[in-house]
Amino acid sequence: MSLRPGAGRAGRASGGLRWTSLRLRLVAVFALVALTAAVSVSGIAYWLNRDAVLTRAQNSALNDFRDSLQRNAASLPVAPTCESLEKAADQIGGPDTYQVVLIDTAPDGSPCAAPSDRDVFTLDDVPASLQRAVNTPHKNDDNRYHLHWERISLQGHPYLVAGARINRDGPTGYMLKSLDAERKDLNSLAWSLGIATLLALIGAALLAQAAGSAVLRPVRRLGEAAQRLGEGHLDTRLKVTGTDELAEMSRTFNSAAEALETRVEELSAREAASRRFVADMSHELRTPLTAITAVTDVLEDEAEALDPMIAPAVRLVVSETRRLNELVETLMEVTRFDAGTAKLRVDEVDVADMIMACMDARAWLDSVELDAPRGLLATLDPRRLDVIMANLIGNALKHGGSPVRVTLRREGEQIVVAVSDHGPGIPEGVLPHVFDRFYKADASRARSEGSGLGLSIARENAHIHGGDITAANSPSGGAVFTLRLPVRPAEDDPDDPDGPDRPHGGAGSPA
Amino acid sequence: MCGVPFLLLIEDDDAIRTGLELGLSRQGHRVVAAATGEDGLRLLKEQRPDLIVLDVMLPGIDGFEVCRRIRRTDQLPIILLTARSDDIDVVVGLESGADDYVIKPVQPRVLDARIRAVLRRGERDSTDSAAFGPIVIDRNAMTVTKDGQDLQLTPTELRLLLELSRRPGQALSRQQLLRLVWEHDYLGDSRLVDACVQRLRAKIEDVPSSPTLIRTVRGVGYRLDTPQ
Repeated sequence: MSLRPGAGRAGRASGGLRWTSLRLRLVAVFALVALTAAVSVSGIAYWLNRDAVLTRAQNSALNDFRDSLQRNAASLPVAPTCESLEKAADQIGGPDTYQVVLIDTAPDGSPCAAPSDRDVFTLDDVPASLQRAVNTPHKNDDNRYHLHWERISLQGHPYLVAGARINRDGPTGYMLKSLDAERKDLNSLAWSLGIATLLALIGAALLAQAAGSAVLRPVRRLGEAAQRLGEGHLDTRLKVTGTDELAEMSRTFNSAAEALETRVEELSAREAASRRFVADMSHELRTPLTAITAVTDVLEDEAEALDPMIAPAVRLVVSETRRLNELVETLMEVTRFDAGTAKLRVDEVDVADMIMACMDARAWLDSVELDAPRGLLATLDPRRLDVIMANLIGNALKHGGSPVRVTLRREGEQIVVAVSDHGPGIPEGVLPHVFDRFYKADASRARSEGSGLGLSIARENAHIHGGDITAANSPSGGAVFTLRLPVRPAEDDPDDPDGPDRPHGGAGSPA
Repeated sequence: MCGVPFLLLIEDDDAIRTGLELGLSRQGHRVVAAATGEDGLRLLKEQRPDLIVLDVMLPGIDGFEVCRRIRRTDQLPIILLTARSDDIDVVVGLESGADDYVIKPVQPRVLDARIRAVLRRGERDSTDSAAFGPIVIDRNAMTVTKDGQDLQLTPTELRLLLELSRRPGQALSRQQLLRLVWEHDYLGDSRLVDACVQRLRAKIEDVPSSPTLIRTVRGVGYRLDTPQ
């Protein structure tokens, strides 16, 4: 019993770490929900933003390029020279906006490529697919230039490339616009969204923790209360706060505990009443029994002289009166044990002498083998040792078989008395019950076998000494009852005036 | 104290009183019975019995009080009739001056044996005397004097002192004393010895709480010493 609270704490501690713990599950679920929501929201926001930013930058660049191309193309001669093309390219493009390459066939038939900045943008940078699209003539078209574009990556930097043919068979113009600024914007957006997601996750975890605590604290309180209740503190109640399901649960617990307490009180009151009844009854029986017993000797002595018809009746009355006496005495002993009023009256005695005297008084010396070294002194209640030995040996003689053997040994601070017989032994199913009250191994056994309290009383007498009796079957057959008693009783009973201190009282301590 | 022992039985229950009167008479005692403590004390003065068998639970003045009142003037043996052996009754009864006790229900044979054992304590057993400091025990006259003054000892106290004085300086266990003085069997109640030693100390020691004559021997019992 005393170990249980510690075990409970250990159980709770390990429970907090288990993967199936409610708190962990709550945190995981909250985190998952937060992650899903944050990732999808950020993802959508990012993609929408990205699209909007890129489209805007692209459209403005393309419109500007188209207008500029249109403007400058008009000023070009029909068959422009390379120089005039270069001039036009410089006019269209610029280092601040975009780079331009104009391509045409010179009047002398040689191809001419005029870049606005030869180091940054040449025709080689234009993807072949875009060139093909630009060079593909459009049959059903008006005067407008067809502008084709593509996004490419040059040396790790994003660019927009666009191209168009000026007039039919005119020069071809390409532009290259860096999208670095947009990428930077988008990157910082992505970072912001990532950080926001992370914050959302942390927030979710904290929320889950808080929610878990809010739910789990009452649950833990309930668990602790249930444990206390199980340990027998029937007055355990929970404080009910709020009106939620947990409060409802606490209320249910309280009413269950109250019902239990009432029930247990009722039962123990009833049990106490029945015990008191037995105690009172056996006490009341004693007065008439004392009067009857006082005259049994007279009757017994006179039985010889009585009518042979009456003598057996008188003898029966005498013997049954004695048995009734014993029964009442036993009952009173039991009630004393139940009420906890049984007391030890210890004296230092030679255990072997005590056992010998016990057997001698009952004329058992011839039927029992005694192996007990004299001089083994123990501080115990002689009357209680006598009750124990009389019950153990009597039981062995009655139910076991001869020879009954009694051995006395000292083991450390204990005296050990073993009573073994050579009977059939005790069936395994009966073994745990041999010390139960009114338990009889054989239901058909008549009441003449004893009160059914003998072994139970023997064990109570051993317990009150701080000892015990155990029953077992010997490997060689027969039952063995082993009595263990401390050589001197534990000296922790200051209330007992006849306690172990008494022999040491010395100078007139018992006033 | 010769011839038929004359007993006074004080017991309030009619049936028990009648039964015990019958049983004890059958055992060869002359019995006079009283139903209350007051009647008992009156009969004690009028009839001078050899021994009193006294029930503890009495209406009016109870057995302990009867016991204490008798002890003020008389040293005759008292045997208590009590309900249970481990009751506080036994201790209180022995402290009030009872010599022995029996537990109800009691067989007349057992009670008879106790009565005879108590009565035997008053019999003289030898004719010498011994001195222990101021205490002089005259075994012939069965008297004990302290500084020349006669001490009023009950037969049980006297027998206990005699048994101890027979083996001066030697420790006697409670069980030994129970056999020698009370003639009890192996289940004798050692509280009888302790109570009697306390009463004896109160009478013979100068300071009963620090005895110099009857010494307690730890874990054994008691010993009579000659004071240095």
